[in-house]
Amino acid sequence: MSMNEQQTLKQQVTLIELVDRVLNKGVVVSGDITLSVANVDLVYVGLRVLLSSVATLEEPRERISATGAAP
Amino acid sequence: MIHLYGVVDELERLPTVAGVDAGRLELRRIEGLELIVSRTVEGRDVTQEAVLYHAHVVEELLARSGAVLPARFGTAFSDEQELADAVRATAPALARGLNLVRGCFEFGLRVLGGDGAAESMSGGLSGRDYMRTRLAEDKTRRRLAEELHEPLARLSRASTRFGGASSDLLQSAYLVPRQDVAAFGEHVRRLEAAHPDLTIVCTGPWPPYTFAANGEGGNA
Repeated sequence: MSMNEQQTLKQQVTLIELVDRVLNKGVVVSGDITLSVANVDLVYVGLRVLLSSVATLEEPRERISATGAAP
Repeated sequence: MIHLYGVVDELERLPTVAGVDAGRLELRRIEGLELIVSRTVEGRDVTQEAVLYHAHVVEELLARSGAVLPARFGTAFSDEQELADAVRATAPALARGLNLVRGCFEFGLRVLGGDGAAESMSGGLSGRDYMRTRLAEDKTRRRLAEELHEPLARLSRASTRFGGASSDLLQSAYLVPRQDVAAFGEHVRRLEAAHPDLTIVCTGPWPPYTFAANGEGGNA
């Protein structure tokens, strides 16, 4: 992976980690979460797009190691 | 609605940043606890923008207080009475949570890669050999994940590993005391150097989202 790809990957992982923390972690004081499921799904659609582009970044490296070709 | 950002201790001063829906941040004192809230519109959409505003406020709180317990996004109350009742019901757990995270930052770790031979050789293997290779590989991956996780967990006050269907070799979070952050970072760099074949992404310092609910015995 080039330095640029590494940087992009790290930025995307950071955003995914951030949204995951804010939506899924943290203390629930009321025991009640007022989010509607439909809205959360929308945020996750955005996340899946990010995740699949992370996978795309990973792909070339895996292909190289699988065929044994030099980078 | 009253949107809750978190519970804080020893807050120097309210951050001047805007909250969700451009709301002004306000401090509430209930049961000896300090809570940071702002007014939001009812039935608002969950957007990436709102999530980022929430996160920004929590980060500002982390920078200005002795301890912060981030609230999960969407923790909202219809009025002051509902907020006060909810806080009273959970006050001891919130106080325990604050004590756990005091003086600590959270770090996240994602390790990708480490996929071995089974997939790439699958064409030339019989079903049984494929399964055998695959099982051996799973074992190797689990051992490798443990080797990566264990020393980092030792540098932490608390740590957790996330399972799930993720293809990540390791996904984990660590609650690291301020004075051990440098050693933690140094260890991550050593892991990166020792495993050039893996993609190791360490994120943080985060506010302690992952460990915020530990005072009540786990993430609700």
